[in-house]
Amino acid sequence: MSATAAAQGSIVRHAGLLDRLRHRPLWLVVAGFVAVLLVSAAGVFFGTVAVSPADTIAILGHRLLGIPATVSWPASAETIVFELRLPRVLMALSVGAALSLAGVALQGLLRNPLADPYVLGTASGAALGAAIGLLIPVQFALLGFGLLHLFAFLGALGAVAVVYRVSRLGGLSSLSSVLLTGYAIGSLLAAGLAITMYLSGQTLRQIFFYLLGSFSLASWPQLTVGLPLIALGSFFLLTRARALNGLLLGEETAAHLGLDVRRERLVLLAAASLVTAASVAMCGLIGFVGLVVPHVVRLVAGPNARSLLPLSAIWGAAFLALADLLARLPGELPVGVITGVIGAPFFLFVLRRYRGGYEL
Amino acid sequence: MRRFRLTVPLLILTLVAACSGGVGPSPTTQPSPTAAPSPTTAPSPTPALTPAPLTLVDDEGTTTTLSSVPHAVVSLTPATTELLFALGAGGLLRGRTDQDDYPAQASALPVVATFEGVHMEDVVGIAPDLVIAGGNNFTHADDIARLRELGIPVIVVYATDVAGVLADIRLVGKAVGEEQAATGIVGAIQTRIDEVAGAVAGLDRPRTFYEIGYQPDIYGPAPDSFVADMVNLAGGDPITTTDPTVYSIALERLVTLDPQVIVLGDAPYGTCPSDVAGRAGWTGMSAVRDGQIRPVDDVVVTRPGPRLGEGLAALALAIHPDAVIAKPTAGTDYCPTP
Repeated sequence: MSATAAAQGSIVRHAGLLDRLRHRPLWLVVAGFVAVLLVSAAGVFFGTVAVSPADTIAILGHRLLGIPATVSWPASAETIVFELRLPRVLMALSVGAALSLAGVALQGLLRNPLADPYVLGTASGAALGAAIGLLIPVQFALLGFGLLHLFAFLGALGAVAVVYRVSRLGGLSSLSSVLLTGYAIGSLLAAGLAITMYLSGQTLRQIFFYLLGSFSLASWPQLTVGLPLIALGSFFLLTRARALNGLLLGEETAAHLGLDVRRERLVLLAAASLVTAASVAMCGLIGFVGLVVPHVVRLVAGPNARSLLPLSAIWGAAFLALADLLARLPGELPVGVITGVIGAPFFLFVLRRYRGGYEL
Repeated sequence: MRRFRLTVPLLILTLVAACSGGVGPSPTTQPSPTAAPSPTTAPSPTPALTPAPLTLVDDEGTTTTLSSVPHAVVSLTPATTELLFALGAGGLLRGRTDQDDYPAQASALPVVATFEGVHMEDVVGIAPDLVIAGGNNFTHADDIARLRELGIPVIVVYATDVAGVLADIRLVGKAVGEEQAATGIVGAIQTRIDEVAGAVAGLDRPRTFYEIGYQPDIYGPAPDSFVADMVNLAGGDPITTTDPTVYSIALERLVTLDPQVIVLGDAPYGTCPSDVAGRAGWTGMSAVRDGQIRPVDDVVVTRPGPRLGEGLAALALAIHPDAVIAKPTAGTDYCPTP
């Protein structure tokens, strides 16, 4: 058998495996949960400071389950495992799931493969809000959030609200006009961000790192505020499978199928904006996850939103938690760099497998 | 249609209000109120041996109480790292930033903070009983808040003038139980300040521009800043930017104010007097015409640490080359004249 034939044979075999997976999304769900568990465990067990696995397990059992244990570990190990690593892993998981769900929703809503959670001005709004929050010389902290986070949250929601009103997305306006409105508002806010950064002096560094995104300040109080918001938005998104499947056929067809297009648009947009705003408020702008995870899942499992939504959430969570672990092991690289560096080649790999016939 | 448009902001507001108001306990987590070590782990020192607690008020007005003289210190600014070694307390240091390059022993310490921020896990792993951070966001304010949340005592130093630096030296000396050594360092710096003041007392005070950087904008000292104060003490009349929060100066402003002396604080980064004459628009300035452009070692002049007296002497000699001031014992000579 020639080398070419062998290579072709292997491609066929791979395609066969992926094809089988496509019809068994349950396997992908199970594999996703296993991946989430493995990555979470790695995230809690590994870091730049060595804490023995036995101590880690004892600390987790002691603090989470209240198992009485003779404390044999140093206090610093307990702080590292329970106050630094665990909230960080949970935040990466929830933000990964949230951004992936928002990506599915916006790609479906706008029927545009380049849509991501930030496409309708969220990113620029959050960034401008954060920068303004940094410039206000008032010390304010509540539950681990400062002005920066509050303003980022409000900026993200405000930007989407403006895009929604200006573009008449509530009506049946054309999708290109919605996208262009989002782009225009985003550019306006980006100009505002640029001038704010120009005037920011010493705080420029903080704005810069906020724009790169990081989980390094994850804490329990932040999660107590952020998780319910993300959970609420995600719940709404996860129940929108029927609407997303309908919208895939185009607004008119969807309306003929009995879908209240305006209402579904509003719910999808509000829920996607809520989870995105909560995410950017907690950890800054983390790109790529919300764009690519839905595509990869669609390539492997097909476009049916019923499996696309949960699978994107699970795999997005695992992906971002892994990216965060890889970002912090060498000493706090920006997590957005890692999502791009490992995500882009992987995406291209999957995309090449399905050169023909991939549509949104 | 109108109703729907109004609904978005309303819905969002309601969600926000509902969620921020009623923060229920998250399903699996028990947020611990403080990060203090659990009672069983804390080795309780016998009361008889406990030294008097140390109360410190830092430059941000925060009061920190240490139960005893610290045994493990993390320093998050180059100046305080340098200072701890000068105080003879270098042995207490367990971590530094990647900028802390002096003295040579400092480079053996683990780096626990970079430009990007403090590496929390590394600092917590060290379990320091004191962290010395830099104010005005030299150390991220978020990071300082997080360290305090985790129960690690942090003092923040940020001096806006030379007197402030001397106060910081005393503060750090007190914090690490080396008050006498701190008094010695402060005394030595004060002696140098007095020497410089005496040497420049009868001289003209030339309009002096201390160039912090030239690309992409011209960067100089802000009014009332530490560098402006240094130029004053060194017998110059500082040319500053327009506002304390502005660090760049327009070329037009600089030409109008016409510096008589230009001090190149960016000499360590490759700028030399011969470069300045070639810049478009600079040739009309008195300093350029008269060749009154001199390089200094920026680190010694502007780092608010124990070598400040030598930095002041170097700056005074750059402004008044003929003044009778003992040659500085610290710093590097840049752009040597052939």
